[in-house]
Amino acid sequence: MKKSQFLKFIICIIIFTMPLTTAFGQQDLSAKGIVKKAEDNMRGKTSQADITIKIIRPTWRREMNMKTWSKGDDYSLIMITAPAKEKGIVFLKRIKEVWNWIPSIERTIKLPPSMMSQSWMGTDFTNDDLVKEASSVVDYNHKHLGNEAISGKDCYKIEMIPKPSAAIIWEKVIVWIDTTDFLQLKAEFYDEDGALVNIMNSTTIKEIGGRKITSKIEMFPVDKEGNSTVIIYNDIIFDTPINDNFFTTRNMKQLK
Amino acid sequence: MMLLKLAWLNIWRNKRRTFITTTSVFFAVLLAVTTRSMTDGVYENMIHNIVSFSSGYLQIHQNGYWDEQSIDNSFEVDDQLYQELLKNPKVTHIMPRLETFALASYSEKTKGVLILGIDPTKEKEVNNLHEKIIEGQYIETVNDNAVVLGEGLASQLKLRVNDTLVLLGQGYHASSAAAKFKVKGIIKLGSPDLNNRVIYMPIKRAQYMHGAENRLTAISIMLDKTTNLEKLKASVQVVLDAEMYEVMTWKEMLPEMDQFIEADSTGHYIIIGILYFLISFGLFGTLMMMIFERKHELGILIAIGMKKHLLALILMLESIMIALIGCFAGILGGMLVVNWFVKHPVHFTGELKDIYENYGIESIIYFSSSENIFIVQTLIVLLLSILLAFYPGFVVMKLRPVEAINS
Repeated sequence: MKKSQFLKFIICIIIFTMPLTTAFGQQDLSAKGIVKKAEDNMRGKTSQADITIKIIRPTWRREMNMKTWSKGDDYSLIMITAPAKEKGIVFLKRIKEVWNWIPSIERTIKLPPSMMSQSWMGTDFTNDDLVKEASSVVDYNHKHLGNEAISGKDCYKIEMIPKPSAAIIWEKVIVWIDTTDFLQLKAEFYDEDGALVNIMNSTTIKEIGGRKITSKIEMFPVDKEGNSTVIIYNDIIFDTPINDNFFTTRNMKQLK
Repeated sequence: MMLLKLAWLNIWRNKRRTFITTTSVFFAVLLAVTTRSMTDGVYENMIHNIVSFSSGYLQIHQNGYWDEQSIDNSFEVDDQLYQELLKNPKVTHIMPRLETFALASYSEKTKGVLILGIDPTKEKEVNNLHEKIIEGQYIETVNDNAVVLGEGLASQLKLRVNDTLVLLGQGYHASSAAAKFKVKGIIKLGSPDLNNRVIYMPIKRAQYMHGAENRLTAISIMLDKTTNLEKLKASVQVVLDAEMYEVMTWKEMLPEMDQFIEADSTGHYIIIGILYFLISFGLFGTLMMMIFERKHELGILIAIGMKKHLLALILMLESIMIALIGCFAGILGGMLVVNWFVKHPVHFTGELKDIYENYGIESIIYFSSSENIFIVQTLIVLLLSILLAFYPGFVVMKLRPVEAINS
């Protein structure tokens, strides 16, 4: 008698909680979906872009121009076109490896894991940002925290916590994604002590290459007053097929 | 005045006694001066040797460079500043430098290195860098497209003259600094630290490689060996814009060397202390003899009504006069000896020479001709003699005339 009552109780609980868990599950899925959508918006199957990077420091600033090619999550290639002294330097990302070709010394350098957290070309981005940034869909657990307005636009506020298996230096990342265009407008990066380290703002929404994208991305390291890095997309072409062979260390040296 | 005359006559009454006492003071001063001159000379030379390869006696940086030694804290070459600095008569040379850290690679080996962008001709004048080349040649001009490597570094990289060295570092304002250089020469330096990681590069090439045209991280200033460092630092600081530049002495930049010299010279101070002790006892002995000899005479003088304290004063004056004569002679003698050794330094030979040269120090004992040594040493000996001069006075004050006459 008692046993069956207990069983009923258990079944009741299961029945009552089921919709709740599925609801949470659905929200989880949608948060991931939002991030994926935003990700795809900026990336496409392939992309070729012409970008300008400005390094801003309290006492000086510097500008670099470069061309980038990317294919999916796995392949990307960056070639510096200006200033003249650094022209021809190429960074290649193949899956999880980063290679660097420096024409003035005719050397290809594979960036070791120990260099991943170092600054990339003197910017506020790390070498790690170059490699891992792509996996924001797969390597994180996503959670919808609510909606917030960023510069007058309604945004989904999503918390991304790295999966234990992923080699990510952040404890969590919070992103704000625009509800109408699905563009990431802001991101905050927190370290293992839960302290805010970097803020990334994406602004100046423009239609380039047949898509709406945020053409200006600014990175502010929180603890360094007056420092920032600005990425400006001058031109971008989406979805022109690029052969996998393009992303090889051999091709890196021939690129003009 | 009469007392002075009395004292003067008294000391020449027994010439031999005076002569002996004077001689003991003379040798005391001579010994103290030459010892100090030698130890100071050795230190001065050691400092000169070491700073001429590293920091220089003084260095001028952009304000804040020393705390954050990055090429971003470099400053623009200023010809006017050079001229202003060279106006100071104590400044013998100025050396522009661009110092950075980089990775050096040859075939499979890579090492972290110190790149020293130098003006080869100026450097050569100061530290004879070209004489330390053991293989190949020295770099000739500021534009020479080649580098010279420390011997330790070359052997670690397994590289020889005429090989091509690859350098990779960070340039000015976050630009990338990467370049290939032909190795023109290999240099053997005394300091193992430098020997194992230094690359000398003509300064124009270093500036180009780092995208820092016309910029320097430091100006090293070489001085006359005996110059007062702090005074000169102050006078250099006056010339410079304090907002823009900082001036540092080698003591601030190489504190471990300063401490080593301090610790080492404490030992010498102990030896010199013992020397003073011996000198004092020698003097004391002669004074005691004098009192003993003249006890009878002193007794009579007191008995016929000479005031005790006046007599004591005369005796003190006598001792001081003797000490003064001795000191004066000592200074003259000391000057002759020191000047001789300054002009003809002692050269080591054989094994000792090798030991010194392995440490990158010249195997020569130089003497210092700094006037400070003469003044300080003479004053110390004079002070000791004056203190001892109280003894005869003290004896006279306690003298009983009857016993003294009868002794």
